[in-house]
This record gives sequence, structure tokens and C-alpha cells, in this order.
Amino acid sequence: MSAPPHILVIDDEPQILRALRTILGEKKFHVTTASRGEEGLALAAAQPPDVVILDIGLPDLSGIEVCARLREWSQAPIIILSARDSERDKVAALDRGADDYLTKPFGIEELLARIRVALRHAARAQSPRATVITAGPVTVDLARHIVTRDGVEVKLTATEFRLLAYLAANADRVLTHQSILAHVWGAPQADQVEYLRVYMRQLRKKLEADPGQPQYLLTEPGVGYRFVADE
Amino acid sequence: MPSSSPSYARFWRGDIALALLVVGVITAGLVLLRDRLSISLIALLYLLPVGLSTAQWGLAAGVAAALGAFFAFNFFFIAPYYSLSVHQAQDLLVLVVFLGVAIFVSQIVGRARASLAAAQAREREALQLYELSATLARLRTRDEIGQALAQRLHEAIQAALTEVALRADGQQPERLVRLPPEAPPAATAPHFVVPILSGRGDLGEVRVWRVTPPPAESDKRLLRAFTSQGALALERAALEQAELRSKVLEEGDRLKSALLSSVSHELRTPLASIKAAVTSLASGEVDWSSRARADLLKMVEEETDHLNRLVGNLLDMSRIEAGAVEPQRQWNLLGDILGGTLNRLRRTTGRRQFVVQIPDDLPLVPVDSALLDQVFANLIGNSLKYAPPDTPITVTAWQPDEATVQVQVRNQGPHVPSEQLERIFDRFYRVYASERVTGTGLGLSICKGFIEAHGGRIWAENLPDGFAFTFTLPLAWDGHRPPQVPPDADL
Repeated sequence: MSAPPHILVIDDEPQILRALRTILGEKKFHVTTASRGEEGLALAAAQPPDVVILDIGLPDLSGIEVCARLREWSQAPIIILSARDSERDKVAALDRGADDYLTKPFGIEELLARIRVALRHAARAQSPRATVITAGPVTVDLARHIVTRDGVEVKLTATEFRLLAYLAANADRVLTHQSILAHVWGAPQADQVEYLRVYMRQLRKKLEADPGQPQYLLTEPGVGYRFVADE
Repeated sequence: MPSSSPSYARFWRGDIALALLVVGVITAGLVLLRDRLSISLIALLYLLPVGLSTAQWGLAAGVAAALGAFFAFNFFFIAPYYSLSVHQAQDLLVLVVFLGVAIFVSQIVGRARASLAAAQAREREALQLYELSATLARLRTRDEIGQALAQRLHEAIQAALTEVALRADGQQPERLVRLPPEAPPAATAPHFVVPILSGRGDLGEVRVWRVTPPPAESDKRLLRAFTSQGALALERAALEQAELRSKVLEEGDRLKSALLSSVSHELRTPLASIKAAVTSLASGEVDWSSRARADLLKMVEEETDHLNRLVGNLLDMSRIEAGAVEPQRQWNLLGDILGGTLNRLRRTTGRRQFVVQIPDDLPLVPVDSALLDQVFANLIGNSLKYAPPDTPITVTAWQPDEATVQVQVRNQGPHVPSEQLERIFDRFYRVYASERVTGTGLGLSICKGFIEAHGGRIWAENLPDGFAFTFTLPLAWDGHRPPQVPPDADL
């Protein structure tokens, strides 16, 4: 059996470190902890982690900076822990290479789900990519550019498909407005979030049973969107 | 004074000629009456032109009149007639008296004239000062006062260039008022520089440049008087500002105490349940059934969520109170935001049915999605608390006119007495002091704060079959209408 995944937790709250060390240790993860940004970066360099859990408000470096410096040499998934008053830092960290976020206080089920998604993505990055993604009645075939709902092909415009394909290829991860606009529309429209809003509405109309209360194409308020795929 | 002005010298000769003319007229009259008048009366009557000329045309004319009168008196009325010979000491005395009268009268008149001119100047200054202080009394801010002071001073002194420079004072930055505003900075040193001094120290200075007429001592006096009025007004404005700040602080203090008393109670209630549940579970004395265990754990989870909402509400409220809510606007779709809210609340909404009626052609709205998400969450949270659990909550949006979007969150909950419909948006206001319903009484006032920060309005109303919150949002953002996203051409 392979070694248990290594999770590095960087947070300045000793109680959070204690809780996560106990809970994640119990779930058979190998857990290391750091209470400062510099210390966390040094630990990550000494013993490369499989997932990093990073608090956005650290006493020495900002979480955003830790993200940026980690990304210079590591592709390990980063899950941001944020409080309600650090919304903007959270989005900045996601734009700088963080993969996901959780707002404190969070349930441990949510955290474990995010860790699973992160590990799956890290593994997928090394193996050939899955080209068919399913979410309930919806399947997205990235290679053949075919989208079906309940087995019936759904006609999408070129932009709608590019948007859905980008979301589906990053299924279960939060994608910020900025990263979606840059990938799907390219630089000129990078600050025209209204394009994204309108095309998301069109996608939901074509793919969701109740577009007003979507099940698969979820809004992350103030951050971006997340495509929820079947596990 | 006018006597020293060069224009006066031009009238000198004319004055003397006029004085001599008056003497001549009197002489002619007296010569006709010579036989009927005593010599002493004639001498007395000759004082008339002397005094008159002095009073009217000044000392030089007076002396000329005195000499003219002396010679005329001597020539026409003192024997031997028609000769200028002065034989007696008495005649010399007459001449001295004439000259003495001329000098005396000129002195009195001169002094009276000078004091009249001074009085008029003072009256003018007093009037200008009065107008200045009347203007300043109406002004409340430092910058307005600086502007008014410069304006009045510029007019009163007839300056070429006037500058009022106010120092930075911790609250406000440095400021320079220059009149006329389009004038370039002066190349030469100002003719007058007067510091603006108050009880709080040196507030700045006034600088004045004069071209014509040249700067005079009286200007300086006026300048000082104006500047001290300005200093008083600035001092008063600063005191008013300080009072306002302390009132705001006081209000803040009152809010904080109200908040603390409400919050300490609200915090302790969930903490008490959590503590009770956790210590029960940790105690080895009771062998809890798995159902009871699950119940207790569920309670702990619900109570921590409640605590979290409470802390979030307090944060929002303190931002609203501090006036720190600046919506980060983007063009948003209301349905998109509401979908996010409903997803986020899924765990607390349970099996509650939601009906969302947002038309597809509703335009994009310029809002801060995080703030609007919070508004939806609070309004829905309120409906969840008060409306019966098996009834739906309906959210509708429509466009009542070109410039506005209106949103309504409707439930089948109980009515609120109509006189309390407005008060439910007040901080800490609770309609039902029900034990079943928990909350801080902050949720709705946060909604009001956020909607008003967007330039909208929120109200509550009783419906025939329930209760509704309605809010409006303006569609224009900095004068821009909602953008139209072009449809994809390549289907």
C-alpha cells in the first residue's frame, strides 16, 4: 500500500491545528502543521505535501503571498481557510493559484470532501485525463465536443461549450470569475463579468431542471462558479 | 487725509481768489453803508469773510482773506481814507485779530474734517466687518470660511491678489484660496502678511498684494480685523466639528452598550446548549442511545451555526454603523445570486419549498453580489423563522419602470401590526418576544443598511395571505444602463 497522503496545515490558531491534526490523523492522513507562513514554506520545501490547507490571515506573510510563493515551484493543491471578513483576500488567493476555499467555521465533512477533490485532481494531472464527465443526467464529452442531458444531445453555442468544458475539466473546484473570463473569453473581456453571468444563465437553462435552483452549475457568491460532478 | 493729497494743491489759487472775492464783496457793501456804521461794527463784520473763507477753503484762503480784510479795512474805513498808512498800534491789533481768527477757525474746521473722514472710514470698516461676520456666522466648514474670508477681504481692500492659506490640522489637509482664482502665483513678496491666530494656535495666514492705490496703514488695520474675525469663525467651526464627532462617538457608545447587552444574552444561550450537550456526551455515566446521541450532536451543530450567524450579523452591523459599506458593484443577474444563496443555506432550509420567479429578460443589475447574497439570506432566514414550515417562500423580481428593479420575498407567515411595519427594520427590534424564535434583531436592519448603500429602498407589508419584504435597486451605475451581452453567433 502506498504511503498516506501528506497534508500540510498552515494556520496561526493552535486550536484549529490541534483539531485538524487529530481529525485528519484519525482519517489516516500524514499531517504536518505550521503556525507561520515562512515556517510553512520551509516545511513544504523539506517534505513536499500532497495538499496544503492554508489560513488566509497569518501573522507574518499574507495567505495570498504564501500561495504565490508556493506556486513558484509546487503544484500541490491549496485549500484556503477564510473568515467572513477576508472575502477579498480569498478571491485574490484563488486568482494567485489556490484551488479551493472553505469559510470558517466549516464542517469536517466539507473539508474532507475538498481534500478528496484536491487529491483526485492532483492524481488526474499525472494520468491521462478523463474526457467524459458526468453530473446527474448531464454528460460532457470533452474530446468529442458532445453534451447530453438524459441521453439527448444538447445544442450549445461555441462559447457555451468552451465555458462548460472549462468548468467540467475542473469539476468540483471553485473557479474565479477572472480565471473563467481569461480562459473562455481571453484577455479583452477579462473584466466583463456580465458575459459570464449571461452565458451561465443560458447554460443553466439548457442543463438544469430548475435553473433558479441549480444542482450542478453552482454560484459561489462573490467568488465564481463550481461545476459539481458525480464522484 | 485729503489735505495732503496732490489733487488739492491744484485748487489753491482758486481758493485764494475766491476768498479775496468774498472780502471784495463785503467791502463793497460796507463802503456803501460806511456813514451809517460805527468803525468797531465794521471791524467785526470783516471777521465774517475771514471765518467763512477759512472754514470753506482752508488756512491759506483764510490768511489771504485776513490780509485782504485788513488792507481793505485800513484803506476804506480808517482815516485817512484811501491810504494804507497804519498810524496807530490799534490798527496793528486789528490785523493780528484777523489773522488769529483765521488760524483758529482753520484749526477747528481742519480737525472737524479729519475726524469726520476718520468716522466715515471707521463706519465703512465697521459695516464691512459686520457683513463679514454675518457671512461667516452662516458657514460651517473650514473651507467655506476660508473662501468667504478671502472674498470679502479682496473686495474690502481692493487687492490685486489675495491668498488665504490654511494649515493642515490633522482632520483636514492644507488649503489655499487664491483670488482672483485664475491669477498666477505672485512673483513679488506680498504687501501684507497677517497670521490667522486662534486659541488653538496658528491656523494659517492671509497674504495681500496691492497695486493701486498703494498700500496704506488703514488697510493693515482692516486686514487685522478681518483676519481675527476669520480666526474666530474657524475656531467655532472646529469646535462644532469636535462636538459632532463626540456626539457620533456617544451614539456609537450607546449602540455598543445596547449591542453588548443583547449580544451577551444571545451568545450565552447557544453556548449553554452546546456546553450541556457536549458535557452530556463526554460523561461516562449515561449510556446514550444512538438516537439521543445523534439528537445532541445535531443540537451542537445547529447552535454553532446560530453563533456563526450572530457573529456575522455583528460584523455587518458594525460596518454599516461605521459607514464602511461600499458596495463592490458588478453587473450581476439576480437569479444567479439567489441561486448561490439558496445553495449556501441548503443545510438550514431543510425541506422548505422555494418558488423563484425571475424573468429571463430581467436586465443585469449593478450590485455587490456578496452584500445582496447577505440580504437574500437574512430575508429568507426571517421567513424561515416566522412562516409555518410547510408553506413555500416565494422570491419574485420585476421591473416596475425603466430605471428600477424590484424584488419581493414573500411568505405565508403571520401579519405584523401595521404601526410596527417600519420599526421592524430598527436595530434590536423584535415583533414577537417568542421563545421559539431566536435572533439578534439585527438581520432586517442589516438588509436596510445594505439596500440603502446601493441606493435602493426596502419595506415590509402585510399581504392577504401572508407577509412580504420588498426592495428596489436602481439599474443605472454611474449613469450607465445595464449592458447587453451579444448573443453567440456560431450556433
